[in-house]
Amino acid sequence: MKPSRFLLAAGLLLGTAAALSAKEELNLFAWSEYVPQKVLDGFKQETGIEVNYETYASNEELLSKLLAGGAAYDLVQPSDYAAEVMIKQGLLAPLDPALLPNRKNLGAQFRHLPHDPDDRYTVPYMTGTVGIVVNTDVVKDPIRGFRDVFQPKFKDRIVVLNDNREIVTWALYTRGISANAISKENLEQIRPVVADWIKLIKVFDSDSPKTALLNGDVDLGVVWSGEAAILWRENRKFKYVLAEEGAHQFIDVLAIPVAAKHKEAAHKFINYILRPEVSKLISDEFPYTNPNVEARKLLSPEQLANPASYPSEGKLETFHDIGKLAADIDRLMTDLKSGR
Amino acid sequence: MPASVSRPPFPTGLRLLNWLLGGWTAVVFVFLYVPIAVLVVYSFNQSRLNVIWTGFTLDWYRRVWEHRPLLRAAQNSLVIAAVSTALSVALGTVGAWLLYRYRYRAARGIQTLVAVPMVMPEILMGISLLIFFATLGMGLGFTTVIIGHVTFCFPFVLVAVQARLKGLDPALEEAALDLGATPLRAFWLVIVPCLRPAIVAGGLMAFTLSLDELIVTFFTTSAASATLPIRVFGMAKVGLNPMLNALSAIFILATVAFVLCSDRLRRASR
Amino acid sequence: MSPTTLKTRPPALVAAPPEENRRRPRLLAWLLLAPMLLWLAAFVVIPTAILAVYSFCERDEVGRVVYRFTLENYRRVFEPVYLHIFWRSIVYAALTTAICVVVGYPVAYFIARAREAWRHKLLLLVMIPFWTSFLIRTYAWITILKQEGLLNGLLQSLPLGIGPLDLLYTPTAVVIGLVYAYLPFMILPIYGSAEKLENAVIEAAYDLGAGPVRAFSSVIVPLTMPGIAAGTLLVFVPAIGMFAITDLMGGAKVPMIGNVIQNQFLQARDWPFGAALGVVFMLMFAVTYWIVQRRGAQMG
Repeated sequence: MKPSRFLLAAGLLLGTAAALSAKEELNLFAWSEYVPQKVLDGFKQETGIEVNYETYASNEELLSKLLAGGAAYDLVQPSDYAAEVMIKQGLLAPLDPALLPNRKNLGAQFRHLPHDPDDRYTVPYMTGTVGIVVNTDVVKDPIRGFRDVFQPKFKDRIVVLNDNREIVTWALYTRGISANAISKENLEQIRPVVADWIKLIKVFDSDSPKTALLNGDVDLGVVWSGEAAILWRENRKFKYVLAEEGAHQFIDVLAIPVAAKHKEAAHKFINYILRPEVSKLISDEFPYTNPNVEARKLLSPEQLANPASYPSEGKLETFHDIGKLAADIDRLMTDLKSGR
Repeated sequence: MPASVSRPPFPTGLRLLNWLLGGWTAVVFVFLYVPIAVLVVYSFNQSRLNVIWTGFTLDWYRRVWEHRPLLRAAQNSLVIAAVSTALSVALGTVGAWLLYRYRYRAARGIQTLVAVPMVMPEILMGISLLIFFATLGMGLGFTTVIIGHVTFCFPFVLVAVQARLKGLDPALEEAALDLGATPLRAFWLVIVPCLRPAIVAGGLMAFTLSLDELIVTFFTTSAASATLPIRVFGMAKVGLNPMLNALSAIFILATVAFVLCSDRLRRASR
Repeated sequence: MSPTTLKTRPPALVAAPPEENRRRPRLLAWLLLAPMLLWLAAFVVIPTAILAVYSFCERDEVGRVVYRFTLENYRRVFEPVYLHIFWRSIVYAALTTAICVVVGYPVAYFIARAREAWRHKLLLLVMIPFWTSFLIRTYAWITILKQEGLLNGLLQSLPLGIGPLDLLYTPTAVVIGLVYAYLPFMILPIYGSAEKLENAVIEAAYDLGAGPVRAFSSVIVPLTMPGIAAGTLLVFVPAIGMFAITDLMGGAKVPMIGNVIQNQFLQARDWPFGAALGVVFMLMFAVTYWIVQRRGAQMG
């Protein structure tokens, strides 16, 4: 081989090796539209780590892909009950508290949560609730809870989440049963309740229930607080109410899978997110409830005034994993939806 | 004995039929393009939420060009669709020809197996392919996505080509062989040109299916190969950004313009 | 005698290739088919086998698949509620296919007979709307069909006395959405088989005294039958498993079999049952298709 060619080849090899070792990356598997590009760019600028942002649209998609596949992610973003499932299955690696000093910025009510009592595996990212949205231009009655929503006079003017467990939970609340006290007997008890409700619902939509409300096709909705917050920003006529019978609070967390290859980078990212000014960027883009109290101090009064983002106190409960009973819930809802 | 001269005049019935068909086609095209027109109009919508019209703006067109991840996803979609279409056309055309030409004993079984990807629910295909790739230790990315796409696209090509083969004149291949061509040359120089309309039809279907594919892609992709549907679907939560309308509008207008002006280009190159 | 050239004997006189013409496959023929067979084996047979294995398993509390043999999943598949849902999906798919044939055939025929320069253009123009994003397209339909939407706006501006139509989130909207989505997959195969095929034949038909209607029904339609059959296959089969459009346009009020299978893997996390539903679904199709092929071959 000619000397010049040899040098070229060697140069290329060394260069590639250098590039590969220098370019660290982080494989983030998270909800779509949940981590602003600004945050990723800022992180890269500061640490030189490139974030590969892969997305999913539901916890179940996250779990399915992880369980089926062995795709190696460094950081995932499950909701509370999904994190609980992953902890039980031994899929998550314990976090190193020494690498997460910014953790102190989180509010006290967001520590020692039911899905991870020792805060060993997860760090809260954003939280929200599921509540009632009312188009007050059209609906003049006071709406305080699910019983007020599901009345015959609102037939075909209601949108709800297309989430079987959510709907069952609301029915359980109206009977004074906790969201996690799911059993075959309880499901039978609420069967007639849900059967009646289904006749009144016009649209089931988990992806964008705000569409039906904005279009004026429906006047009431039981939706995620994020949707309600966006509606409120569009038009103040959309009021958000946490049902008096009880409301589901969800907490989306960051966690590191056991198989992660870049655990240190993942820790850096979590710590970066916990900075107040970075957390504020997330709140600016997506109006969910920020668990970072230091960040809340940086928010504008208008952001804090959004009743869907920062609702007044209510009876809140988070979901636990219910194992096999999820199949029973699915069966119940399939029966009822199909029966009309 | 029909009262006709050696070369009958064009019957008026046929002309009327042609006019009716043309009119019906126009109506169907209107049906196909009305949502597209709405989509383009709303790309100028001031409101970010894409549901209610609030005012006119060109902002979204500017923002599309600055949104790197979206453009990257669009590029991925096009590349994956192009490669998947090429492979599907190759697999489907050759498969259709061979099944027609030779009496395989397992023909019915093979034919059924070919049709299975069309009926298999996408989540089943996605998850089972992912398990398969994971068991093999295959990393996810462009290759795995393309494999998934080709698997359910090529049956469409095969079925379309088969339909045309059923009306094909068998004397054609015989004639070519008699004139001294090898079976391969006969296939390439005589049969394929005859099959061209069906190949084009099949290829168009495959391309379209690949561009819009979501679920199988989700399970077989990595961050680098994420396609446009995956990005778009996630955006529904915060409101489908008119940027997506702008992107679609740009693509549509570009392709329609290309189609309508293509003979001017062809004439110029002659 | 109508002018016919030596090359184009009217295809009506040529059915499927005479059996002598189709050779028995030698080794070469099998080798040439091997790529496709290998592809099918690797990416269709093996994944289906994986699903079949899962369908006989159980799931544990945490949602993992447990390798214990059980027939429980298959028993559940045949419960009335799921059979009813299967049936509903088939009905929607059949209705969609029928409408697509009626609406799409004239278009395909027109394009097939159009001037050479225009044929490919028209074909592309049929497909181009579907190169936009599915969600955006469907949301455009929602904008058109909703209560305060464009369609109602148009109807109310015309003095026809037709009140605002409540179309969105009804079965009508679902059918509109399905026909819209599948029309090209009916038009294209019919075009593919009908193009350039009939000029001599139609002239022959007219020479023999047939009027336009008879020429159409007795000559043209039978000749383009392979195209219609292909279009029917390419629309009906995928449409049975379709649920995204029914969810978006119909408000997700009524479950299709696609919804149910998807739910098993996502919301219910009962993979074995989902796999069983899928296997039965695919088997029903495979058996039906097998029988249809045999009847087709018998009818020659």
